[in-house]
Amino acid sequence: MDIVKWSRVKSPWVFHFNAGGCNGCDIELLAALNPKFDIERFGMILRGSPRHADVLLCTGTVTRQIRDRFKRIYDQVPEPKFVMAFGNCACSGGVFQKCYNVHEGIDKVVPVNMYVPGCPPRPQAIIDAAVKLLTALQQS
Amino acid sequence: MSWQVVAYDLFSVLIYPGIIFLVALALFYQWVDRRVYARAQNRYGPHHTGPRGLLQPLADLIKLLAKEDIEPSAVDKMIFRAAPILLLTLVFTALFMVPISGTSAIVSFEGDLIFLIFIMTLFAILAFLAGWGSTNRFSLVGGMRAALQTLGYEVPLAVSLIGPAILAGTLSVSNIVAWQAAEGFWSILLNPLGFGIAIIGIIAIIEVVPFDIPEAETEIVAGWQTEFSGRKLGLLRLAHDLELVFVSGLVVALFLGGPTGPIPLIPGIIWFIIKTVIIVFIIGFIRAQFARFRIDQMVSGSWKYLVPLSILQIIILQLYLMI
Repeated sequence: MDIVKWSRVKSPWVFHFNAGGCNGCDIELLAALNPKFDIERFGMILRGSPRHADVLLCTGTVTRQIRDRFKRIYDQVPEPKFVMAFGNCACSGGVFQKCYNVHEGIDKVVPVNMYVPGCPPRPQAIIDAAVKLLTALQQS
Repeated sequence: MSWQVVAYDLFSVLIYPGIIFLVALALFYQWVDRRVYARAQNRYGPHHTGPRGLLQPLADLIKLLAKEDIEPSAVDKMIFRAAPILLLTLVFTALFMVPISGTSAIVSFEGDLIFLIFIMTLFAILAFLAGWGSTNRFSLVGGMRAALQTLGYEVPLAVSLIGPAILAGTLSVSNIVAWQAAEGFWSILLNPLGFGIAIIGIIAIIEVVPFDIPEAETEIVAGWQTEFSGRKLGLLRLAHDLELVFVSGLVVALFLGGPTGPIPLIPGIIWFIIKTVIIVFIIGFIRAQFARFRIDQMVSGSWKYLVPLSILQIIILQLYLMI
């Protein structure tokens, strides 16, 4: 067993970035950290600094205002990094599609590894997405 | 010096109770701390990595060591590279003076308690340097707070650590432990106030809630650690865990009799682990119960309440010694 790959699978640290969402997804994300779902069981911790993170978890469609800042945050995450688009807005623009002031989804700005649709997605969905992401990483 | 002596010294510095054993102990205490914290919040904490999550800190460490190490172009390269290594070296230096497996430590000399108090100040100075060298506004604020917090906790902590030294009549940690073993009682019995103040002081040293002001996540991202990534962050986290072992070991040595216990059959290292895990449990429980203090509350509170109480403790000890 590759010990570096094992450690990466076992300790994905999350940085949470709101790229112009309505806070619905953010609250569901926080519910996943809290006692009922407790994703620290799988070694996932929410970190305050993008320099410490492995997984960039983005909510919200990317507004034109935040686009450059978002790119900068993405560049600040050290390799190997993974991007998770959380919620309909982050996946495709959601209800804000064809608005004049948004890019329709995270993947128009940075490469995305995992899409989690829903408005907002349930906390179970983020655990499911994390499991799929880590399984893919383990098999790579 | 014969080769057996050299081999024994190398063994005790590198393996047991030296570097490898201490790193294993530090990772174990991080696991204990996280589990206590999680259970106090009605969660489970890490429990899918290895048996009951025991390997979680190891996985975190290996992952960080294998990650990309970003050096922002604006940082002061020398300080930025040296800070994690210096911090780790300092903690190991301090740990060699704490008795772990027997009544005497690897290194001990008359006055090493003063030296340990000096090293504890250097932790904060290094945090300030690391924050300064990062040239990031959050790191800078965090470093400033780390230095400012020292003004609050340093004096009461030093005075309360001197209490057992007055009782034992020596300034060497190993001799204090030997004195407690010889007298057959723990100096916490005469030092309850000093013990409480020492617990508060060590919480401030290792910068966890309620004194995590230098790395307050909700205010200043990650404080003076903000710009560190990859293996530098891994070394910083390892140094933090070793600090936890060091401060809990120091409090155990000074107040709770060190690696000795009422049942002589059980080896000293077992007593040491039992007692330090109790201290780590107390720290984790306090971490879960409190919110963060503001920096001004912390400094003024410790000068208004902790300093007079620690001096009162010294006066009580002197009265006891005069009787």
